[in-house]
Amino acid sequence: MEPIIEVKNLVKVFNSRGRTITAVNDVSFEVFKGEIFGMIGPNGAGKSTTFSMMTTLLKPTSGSIKVAGFDVEKQDDKIRPLIGIVPQKLSLYSLLTARENLELMCNLYNVPKKEIDEKVDYYLKLVGLEKSADRYTGGFSGGMKQRLSVIAAVLHDPEILFWDEPSTGLDPQTRNVIWKLAKKFNAEGKTLIFTTHYMEEADNLCNRVAVMDLGKLVALDNPEVLKEKTGSANLEEVFVHFTGEQVRD
Amino acid sequence: MTLKTELMDSIMVAKKEFKILFRKKWLVVPLFLFPIIMIVFFGYGMGGTVKNSPILIINDDTGRASSTLVQEIGSYTPKYDSTPMFSVTYTRDMSQSEAESKIDSGLYKGALIIPQDYSDSIANNKNTTLTLLTDSSDTTTSGVIINAMRQLLAKNGIVSLKIPEIYGNLEYLDFLTPGIIALTVFMGSVATTGSAIAGEKEDGTLVRMLMTPISKRSVILGKTIYQLILQLARAVILIIAAYFLVGFHMNGSWLLVALLLIVFTLGGVGMGIVMSSRVEDMESFFQLNMLITMPAMFVTGVFFPLSSVPNWMRYIAYCLPLTYAIDALRIIMVKGQGLNAISFDMIILTLFAIVTFTLGVRLFRREA
Repeated sequence: MEPIIEVKNLVKVFNSRGRTITAVNDVSFEVFKGEIFGMIGPNGAGKSTTFSMMTTLLKPTSGSIKVAGFDVEKQDDKIRPLIGIVPQKLSLYSLLTARENLELMCNLYNVPKKEIDEKVDYYLKLVGLEKSADRYTGGFSGGMKQRLSVIAAVLHDPEILFWDEPSTGLDPQTRNVIWKLAKKFNAEGKTLIFTTHYMEEADNLCNRVAVMDLGKLVALDNPEVLKEKTGSANLEEVFVHFTGEQVRD
Repeated sequence: MTLKTELMDSIMVAKKEFKILFRKKWLVVPLFLFPIIMIVFFGYGMGGTVKNSPILIINDDTGRASSTLVQEIGSYTPKYDSTPMFSVTYTRDMSQSEAESKIDSGLYKGALIIPQDYSDSIANNKNTTLTLLTDSSDTTTSGVIINAMRQLLAKNGIVSLKIPEIYGNLEYLDFLTPGIIALTVFMGSVATTGSAIAGEKEDGTLVRMLMTPISKRSVILGKTIYQLILQLARAVILIIAAYFLVGFHMNGSWLLVALLLIVFTLGGVGMGIVMSSRVEDMESFFQLNMLITMPAMFVTGVFFPLSSVPNWMRYIAYCLPLTYAIDALRIIMVKGQGLNAISFDMIILTLFAIVTFTLGVRLFRREA
């Protein structure tokens, strides 16, 4: 299989108030084109930091990441048009309408002017927001914001979609919609990478799951294979097997 | 990325900023009204026009020159108002200490003592000295009275006035308006830039924007274009409002005012970016903003001339860019002078803009 992301000996060290924290400690893995790749791990495991480095928001302390063949440090401007990111924070302008938020994202991603209206309408309809298109997003419910936030990341038809905790704090209906969207985008040929705390979500969606703990990659494989290897009934047990019972700081 | 796309991107950012600004109605209104309110309240409140101020004239001279002078004082009206400035009580043969005690008791705001030989001296071209007592507890009014007396006596060249040295030769509103413009542009550019960035950090929209292909330069440039338009618009509205409300006259070049404000706004925007890069949310930004802009407001001579403050305060003022902007605006708007007269101020402000902007661009990282 063709790798679309190559992470090699990745290290990220933060210096904060005299303390040195190694958030990511010598991590290497590959993400294959067209797969759904999940990252799980306790709080503070280094998932988000790895995520930020893959999406060009943070620079690695050492090691390298290549996304679609481009280096995240030197060619970040080549990478950004190819990826879509659904941040954990909903990150919408509350004083712009749903449509205006999407139009802004289209402009930021250089979607050709003549395609904008059509795309915006299509995606609003896809997530059932067409009737709320001209309302300020400040008044939206959490679920509506989440749906809008998701489509804001795919307007430019990215090859890779990064998704940070897609279903945290959502009702089962919205979560269902989100999962369907994930599968749809994947079926259209997009590679999906997401972090999650819901083992059920990882189990349901992912071709492969990476388990991280204390800045290290401790396991990486298909959920079924992981269950078999560890003799677990579900992914939750796999998770505990690799990361232990102790609560993390 | 080409320069053209960067420019187009930044215009897009600026447009977005305006769209959001005009939806924050409770921000737009004060943004434009605040400086106008300041001019009106401070202008009148701090003595731009003293009306019917009770003063005592002790005229021990019986000649013609003194009676002319007394008449002039009685009918004197300030530049921005048609009400007589003084309500005069005349007397004679009163000692200075007696006059002082009357001022102490609050009966009069000031007392002018005309010596017996006043008319003779004028007629013989000899030097003569009048004594002016003022209520020093009311610095503003006494300042205005002294100012007015000086103007009146200036016509009779050889008359000197014995008074404590304060305010210069201007009406207070002439002095105040350029100061308020510089102050509002400074506070406005720092606060709106910084709080917008801090707010976008809080909402996560800034990070989201920085995840897109748009360059960091375009984001900063867009925000700067927005600020330049906004602050220039505020200054123009303020000058026009000052003209209609209090009769302020712009004596200098609009173009020069615009040029100065552009340079100064750039510095303010840079400073807002630097400050916002140090905080994670709006609340922290506003606390930091208070710490930095409030002292500037009181130290730099917006409300009073720097010549009237103690040395240590003046030294602080010389360290603050706002001081130079105020100075330059007064030179242009009131004295009507050209670029030569403000070249030093301009150099300082340009340096301020370069330093804060360079620092701002460096600190404004993608790693938000």
